[in-house]
Amino acid sequence: MVLDPNKDASLPEPIRRFLPAFSGRPLGPLLTQAMRSLAQRRPEAFERLGEFCKAHFLIDPTDLPFIFHVVPDGRAALVHTTGKNGALPSDVVIRGPILLLLGILDGSLDGDALFFHRAISVSGRTEAVVALRNAIEDAELRPSDLLGLGGNVARFADSGILGGLSLARQIVTGTHRRERTDS
Amino acid sequence: MTTSSRMELVCPAGTPSALRAAVQAGADSVYCGFRDETNARNFPGLNFSPQELAEGVRFAHAHGSKVLVAINTFARAGDTDPWRRAADTAASCGANAVIAADIAVLDHMATQHPDTRLHLSVQAAAATPESIGFYADAFNVRRVVLPRVLSVQEIAALNRAITVETEAFVFGGLCVMIEGRCYLSSYAAGRSPNLNGVCSPPEMVSYDEDRDGTAARLAGFTIDRYAPGEPAGYPTLCKGRFKAGDKAGYLFEDPVSLNAGSMIVAFRAAGVTALKIEGRQRGKGYVTEVVRAFRKAVDAAEQGEDATEIDSILASLSEGGRQTTGAYRKIWR
Ligand code: SF4
Repeated sequence: MVLDPNKDASLPEPIRRFLPAFSGRPLGPLLTQAMRSLAQRRPEAFERLGEFCKAHFLIDPTDLPFIFHVVPDGRAALVHTTGKNGALPSDVVIRGPILLLLGILDGSLDGDALFFHRAISVSGRTEAVVALRNAIEDAELRPSDLLGLGGNVARFADSGILGGLSLARQIVTGTHRRERTDS
Repeated sequence: MTTSSRMELVCPAGTPSALRAAVQAGADSVYCGFRDETNARNFPGLNFSPQELAEGVRFAHAHGSKVLVAINTFARAGDTDPWRRAADTAASCGANAVIAADIAVLDHMATQHPDTRLHLSVQAAAATPESIGFYADAFNVRRVVLPRVLSVQEIAALNRAITVETEAFVFGGLCVMIEGRCYLSSYAAGRSPNLNGVCSPPEMVSYDEDRDGTAARLAGFTIDRYAPGEPAGYPTLCKGRFKAGDKAGYLFEDPVSLNAGSMIVAFRAAGVTALKIEGRQRGKGYVTEVVRAFRKAVDAAEQGEDATEIDSILASLSEGGRQTTGAYRKIWR
């Protein structure tokens, strides 16, 4: 997907206004479980992180009312969600619109390009960020990997979720409209 | 040595997924290295375990591509085991060649693994018939990766005077200093690509925000400053923007990328055997796009067609979007 990193990819205001009601709290245990079972199925994806699997990553989707604290320690991985004011001490802070952060995770967007064009911001231990970026790059994660799905269900989930995310990004950045009028 | 066969396209792979991407995009050869200090691209999360290399070699061979393993840092005096081990593992994985610069590594390969081809890394900075002749005679080196300081005419003259193949960089980041001899990173960070495999190591990099924007620092030295919203870069020392007097500018090198895609025909005429794409630290999206474009361009050049359109195809992938043909076309001489 071609995405102009200079375009604002944040969720539109009406959606954001709806979100404070949802604190994100139930997501922590669910994501912890998903990461641990991924580590069981694909340990090499986490081995690539080396010593940085124990690093604390704070991931702050700027257009959502909560933040994620992630320790990607394979089968001992941990994900917590807290409100914006509940930030725990961390080695790395990654901030950006949720659709861009998800695009980096599924490999459809280039994290380097987004960082160098300031669409996302990163601070803290640069070597941990570099390790995370390279591990994600090699892992070629699909939504079905995180959800623990296989076979046709996985294919269906991947194409549905990835297609949906790509469309959502196009809509919020306006590329959807532009591409249509250009053709 | 001049060549009459089809030119080989040598492509980068920092991870197994990038290796598969390069092979599928049309690489004749893929180069990669181990996840340790024997490799001049020793960045966290990058590179191959021995098992990943064995799988990568199997995948590449099944698709008709070769794998070249870079063991291209200089071995540490008194502790050469990691380099020996890397050489032995590369040979046992079935690598088609080892790319090395250190005479200890070259000697180990030549004596212990004489059936594995040896390529002389650009880190050896061999650019004269005498130095190349030495490596060919002493270690049976079969190919030399040329430092990016020669013009295409100089490469043609060199090829007439040597008996080994030459490989020239055609695309990617540029090292402005003579490779293997740059001490900028050692000076600032105490670690260098030559001994530790990292130029401007990430553990010494910080991006600090203040009200004027962002400062990119290496080991406490400010390498560049960016106004809010201005595109930033990695603080590689030679690409820093420094202030001398009241004038700020790039003292060593503008952040431009090499693109010699328009010179493929000239390289062929100069007797170059292989064309190398830089970028083991780049993602598989980059690898796919660049390799695909060069595959098309090399095939076109082999058929006597023009390949100049490659400049525009690849402009968006270059650092800062700006490109140069580097020293290959020395118009100022
Ligand atoms: S500082 Fe620049 S010229 Fe020196 S090794 Fe690093 S990239 Fe190459």
